[in-house]
Amino acid sequence: MRLWGGTHGRLTATALAALAALPCISLASPIIEKGKRQLVIWGVTLGPDTKGLEAVVHAFEAANPDVHVRVLSMGAGGMNPQKQMTAIVGGSPPDIIQQDRFSMADWASRGAFLPLDDLIARDRNTDSDCPTPEKFYPAAWAEAVYEGKVYGIPDGADNRALYWNREIFRAKAAELRAAGLNPDRPPRTWSEVKAYNKVLTEFKPDGTLMQAGFMPNFGNSWFYMFAFQNNAKFMSDDGKHCTLDSPPAEEALQFMLDCYEQLGGYENARAFEAGFGVRQLDGFYGGRVAMKIDGDWSLNNLARYAPTMDVAVAPPPVPDDRFYHRGLFTNEKDTFITWMGGFCQVIPRGARNVEDAWRYIKFALSLKGKTIKLDADRRWQISRGHPYISGQMANLEANRMILNRYAPADEKFRKSLEVHVSLMQVSRVRPPTFVGQLLWDQHVEAMDKTLRRQMSAKAALQAGQAVVQRELDAFYSQDKYPQIDLRVPIAIFALLGLAGAGVLNLLYRRHKLGRLSRHEARWGYALVSPWVFGFAVLTLGPMLMSLFFSFTRYNVLSPPRWVGVQNYAEMVGADRATFLKAFSNALYFAGIGVPLSLITGLGIALLLNTGVRGMRFYRTFFYMPSIVPATASAVLWAWLLAPDASKGLLNAAWSHTIQPWLGASAPGWVTSEAWAKDSLIMMGVWGAGSGMLLWLAGLKGVPTQLYEASAIDGATPKQQFWRITMPQLSPVIFFNLVVGLVGAMQEFDRVYVMKPDEGTVGPGDSLLMPVYHLFNNGFAFFRMGYASAIAWIIFFVILALTVFQFWIAPRWVHYEVER
Amino acid sequence: MNSAGAYAIGTLLVWLGAVLVARGIYQILQRKMALVGLIAGGVALVAGSMLLPKGKTQIPLLWPVMPFVLWAGLGCILYGMGQLLAAALDPNGRVRGERYRSGTLAFGGAVLLGLLFRATPDATVALLEGGIPLSLSGLVGLGALAMAAILAMVWAQASLERHRILKRVATHVTLLAGSVVFGIPFLWLLLTSFKQERDMASPDGIVLVPHVDVTVPFRNPKQPLYETLHDGETVEVNVLETSGDRVTVDIQKPMGLRGQTFEADKSGLKEIPTQAAVVTAVMEGKPIRGIVVEDMEDGHRLVQATSPPELKGKEAVFSPSDVQPVTRIGLRWANYTEALDFLPPEADRGLVYLRNTLVIVVLNVIGTILASAIVAYAFARLRFPGKNGLFAVLLATMMLPGAVTLLPQFLIFRGLGWTDSLLPLWVPAFFGSAFNIFLLRQFFLNVPMELEDAAKIDGCGYLKSFWAVMLPQVKPALAVIAIWTFLGSWNSFMAPLIYVNSPEHMPISYAVQMYSSDRSGEPGLLMAFVTMSILPVLLLFFFAQRYFVEGVTLSGIGGR
Repeated sequence: MRLWGGTHGRLTATALAALAALPCISLASPIIEKGKRQLVIWGVTLGPDTKGLEAVVHAFEAANPDVHVRVLSMGAGGMNPQKQMTAIVGGSPPDIIQQDRFSMADWASRGAFLPLDDLIARDRNTDSDCPTPEKFYPAAWAEAVYEGKVYGIPDGADNRALYWNREIFRAKAAELRAAGLNPDRPPRTWSEVKAYNKVLTEFKPDGTLMQAGFMPNFGNSWFYMFAFQNNAKFMSDDGKHCTLDSPPAEEALQFMLDCYEQLGGYENARAFEAGFGVRQLDGFYGGRVAMKIDGDWSLNNLARYAPTMDVAVAPPPVPDDRFYHRGLFTNEKDTFITWMGGFCQVIPRGARNVEDAWRYIKFALSLKGKTIKLDADRRWQISRGHPYISGQMANLEANRMILNRYAPADEKFRKSLEVHVSLMQVSRVRPPTFVGQLLWDQHVEAMDKTLRRQMSAKAALQAGQAVVQRELDAFYSQDKYPQIDLRVPIAIFALLGLAGAGVLNLLYRRHKLGRLSRHEARWGYALVSPWVFGFAVLTLGPMLMSLFFSFTRYNVLSPPRWVGVQNYAEMVGADRATFLKAFSNALYFAGIGVPLSLITGLGIALLLNTGVRGMRFYRTFFYMPSIVPATASAVLWAWLLAPDASKGLLNAAWSHTIQPWLGASAPGWVTSEAWAKDSLIMMGVWGAGSGMLLWLAGLKGVPTQLYEASAIDGATPKQQFWRITMPQLSPVIFFNLVVGLVGAMQEFDRVYVMKPDEGTVGPGDSLLMPVYHLFNNGFAFFRMGYASAIAWIIFFVILALTVFQFWIAPRWVHYEVER
Repeated sequence: MNSAGAYAIGTLLVWLGAVLVARGIYQILQRKMALVGLIAGGVALVAGSMLLPKGKTQIPLLWPVMPFVLWAGLGCILYGMGQLLAAALDPNGRVRGERYRSGTLAFGGAVLLGLLFRATPDATVALLEGGIPLSLSGLVGLGALAMAAILAMVWAQASLERHRILKRVATHVTLLAGSVVFGIPFLWLLLTSFKQERDMASPDGIVLVPHVDVTVPFRNPKQPLYETLHDGETVEVNVLETSGDRVTVDIQKPMGLRGQTFEADKSGLKEIPTQAAVVTAVMEGKPIRGIVVEDMEDGHRLVQATSPPELKGKEAVFSPSDVQPVTRIGLRWANYTEALDFLPPEADRGLVYLRNTLVIVVLNVIGTILASAIVAYAFARLRFPGKNGLFAVLLATMMLPGAVTLLPQFLIFRGLGWTDSLLPLWVPAFFGSAFNIFLLRQFFLNVPMELEDAAKIDGCGYLKSFWAVMLPQVKPALAVIAIWTFLGSWNSFMAPLIYVNSPEHMPISYAVQMYSSDRSGEPGLLMAFVTMSILPVLLLFFFAQRYFVEGVTLSGIGGR
């Protein structure tokens, strides 16, 4: 008897082929040079234009032949802290991280980075490359220091200035003069900015923008820069209080709002911005924006994509009182103020190769390393026919070098770079605090809410301040909560487990079993043991653990503290808005998306079920999208739905049909708050094919005699559908609905890939899903306690939904056999 | 009446009139008296078009702009109203009660959806009005199309056979249109993966068909290109410096090594032509065709004319906007090779990703099938105290969302030192999965007892009878579970995101996300990479389509 083979032989063959392919594939082994020490660097990407970095790496490897350097982006160092945190907490961190300086204190405070003071003290007299404070801009160095310890060595240092398009100023000279403004120089104060903005802005008849004078947050200024200019501080000097809502900050935000109001509101300006492209199609290069605040990196793009444009760079305009040194600013030394950011290189705790990491940092950030980088970058760009303008460095000597030895060939750009360099001395940095990332997120949120006129500047800043302050208070008051030795709960669980096993054993012994049955029972236990073991270790244990954690505050790096129901209180208290947002998003997504997919699938299945020829072909076609991996389809759809009509296929079609017909401008899809979820739903409908197969199976299962009998009774096709097909299909609908809702409530992958890169999950958190909220809290902020509490709420919501469905099911689901 | 209202009513009247006229024609052709409808339609058409603005030939349109949630709400309200109306007219008391209930439920749903709408601050509602502009020929064509449809319907009316044919044609048309809609994203993916960078976002509107720049072989006297060997690989280089017999060269190709320099022997270099871009421009007032000899540091381009003959060989410097590249329709295959070139070297041109995914998939499939089948067998066929209790627990875990155990599992695997390895991605499969155990148990229950009894008489133990007798009986179910596990583990993204920290352990799903965040500026490469990443799974689907279809059919059993 051939038990294995027969009709299913083909699949068996496939499986065998796959197995056979394994060893072949494993020949494709990663290129890791054996016998060398690995030095892993995260947060920098190797790409076609990173020849400087490559040259530094090659030079380092040449000087240290026993070290192999591996450079990986891994999304680290910037706005996506999750990967970095799981790696550090998981005990497999890289050796060096290129870290955004402002968020460094977040990590340092949690003990995730290594202090470098000892290494500096050891080498400062013996190694001329050793980084010491006097070699760097003081502000840049200060940003890498937290509570008196140095955690990172500054690398780049970007600052912002005003870019103004002289061509537009010339074209509008007459109007500017009529308004009493000088067309040959840029505005220097906030009120001048508004005056220029008024003249330089042009509207189309329908109220949308044709040309913008000044869009405060186009380019790169955020709210931080304007606030710094008005002497706003975001944190008290002792670092225990957040002062996001100070009057100077409020004034600065009000200034941004005023500028946007001159443009017909923030939404109007954003819609205008959405029509800009990248590179050559940038709105500033296209002469659609007259002035912008931007960082020195934009000079290189300017030289490359708009080399002939008549543009100049000036210090960013400041509050009037500061410029005229009056009022609160009477005794201020500096007329202009701007904002500096940049990255630094840090060594995470647990790094396997600290000595080599330190050697690399010393080398790469020294004058020698920077010279190698600049040489290689410049040679590369020029060989490709592109001009080269270096970004600024935190290293004083190196930054001087970019103005002399590597000065831009074009006089115009050399002067512009000079302005940036001269502004370095008056550049302020964000306060080094362990709530740096949160402060940043809240500042973005307050800005967004104010500019969208959802809140007044004061109220928005106060709301943000409250969130940050809560985190500060929680940190400084954590000592009042008792620390728990993790061994205690584990011991309790173990005891409970043993007791349970004992009870089960007793119960087992009470059964009177014959010898044969005992034999069978032993086998039974043995055969179910894999699942029982897996259940205990991977399901029951974790569930109990997560229940326990939900009553604690736990960041994995230090022992948990028992906080009682505080985590649950936070959901209905401080975090209520976000928490509700996540669940209402999921409800929207599930409530609209699941039925829509079901109906689409049913429609196709009904058409296919008419016995149409070529059914297999159509079936393949409709089913194919649903087997495409979620990450791949999300990447694809993000591109299909790109708001720019020169990129996104859907909006291109829209701009040729619906726009001229109905005058409706194309939606921003994933980039707009109102359409983001609908975009996700559309993607879900594209994958309706798997539902279709289920419907087809269900339709095949409907007994034909029912139709025949009803036809004899004179039933119309419509009656047949509603009276026979639907009731017969109702179990399938029910199954689909339950599975679909549970799946939709746990949506994660596609949102993760599709969301635009901003501080929020989709515009205005419109794509924030419960599991995403959990993931963020658990793996990005490492608030394991709060994340566990969310997990339990998700569990109960899904449970409630499922129970509700089972409760209501008998009312509409038709089973052949009454249960 | 304000003009917007007039427009709306006019539009509705025109549409209503058009429908009535069409129906009237249809009925007249059936020799039925339908003059009333026809006349009414004509009146509505005329009245409607009088309300609309004059001097434009267009199909008037109205469109309420609102998010999906409001559409659903509108649907609920309409459905509810229909139900209530039907209930009021229904003489049957039992049915009436049902209708009242479902109508009320629909209204409740509408209220819920309305609340959801309120929770989305950006969402707005607007009524758009406009029209599809229509030329005379368009109007005639549309009329002809409508006439053809009416005639077809009349023709079909004559016999059942004709009716069936018409229905089939309509079905095919609908299905084809649907397939096109479903296929467009794939087509777009393919097209984009072959486009060159300039066409990704063109100022002249979207580029649908891939083009490539026309180039000609060209030996550049100023910067000759050489071929040489470097570490056993053939590379194309420029010479940077010459000192005696030794030269320092700069690698141009392959992409992955671009920009590296090394010293070589002069004799080892072999000059090869570069590819110069063919362009058009205006030189000395005449349109010319030429080749780009040099891209200069300030962005200007040095162009050498090739035609017309009188300017041939002349060179001039142009600003980049004055030079138009000559292109032809063609596929840029280089996107595919370059996409792999830019992967981290540890990924060995993507093969390592493929290997990792295969390891995960194969082990998951084997583990899930083996463990689930053994456990299901025990639950189906063996008697032991506590079995029912255990099975109830198993059923309960089927509904457990993975979110609850996510964090502690991370801590457990971290404690085991399994982070940054593939272990957390496949080991759990070897403990079986609740749903598959449940499914297989149902199948084992249906296997006739006699088969196993016979095996027992032959002296088979439990394991032997499980392997040799029971397992082959449920092969279809195993195939289905294999397919589902395959898809699930091939697509799995969150677990790798949490556990994997280095490219040598990255599976494809995660690599795609990584690639898209690193290379969003180069959509051609990104789309090429995405295409390559979904190719294996599509191939498998075509190969084993039958099992996919069966799989869905069988999983439907859960609902029955």
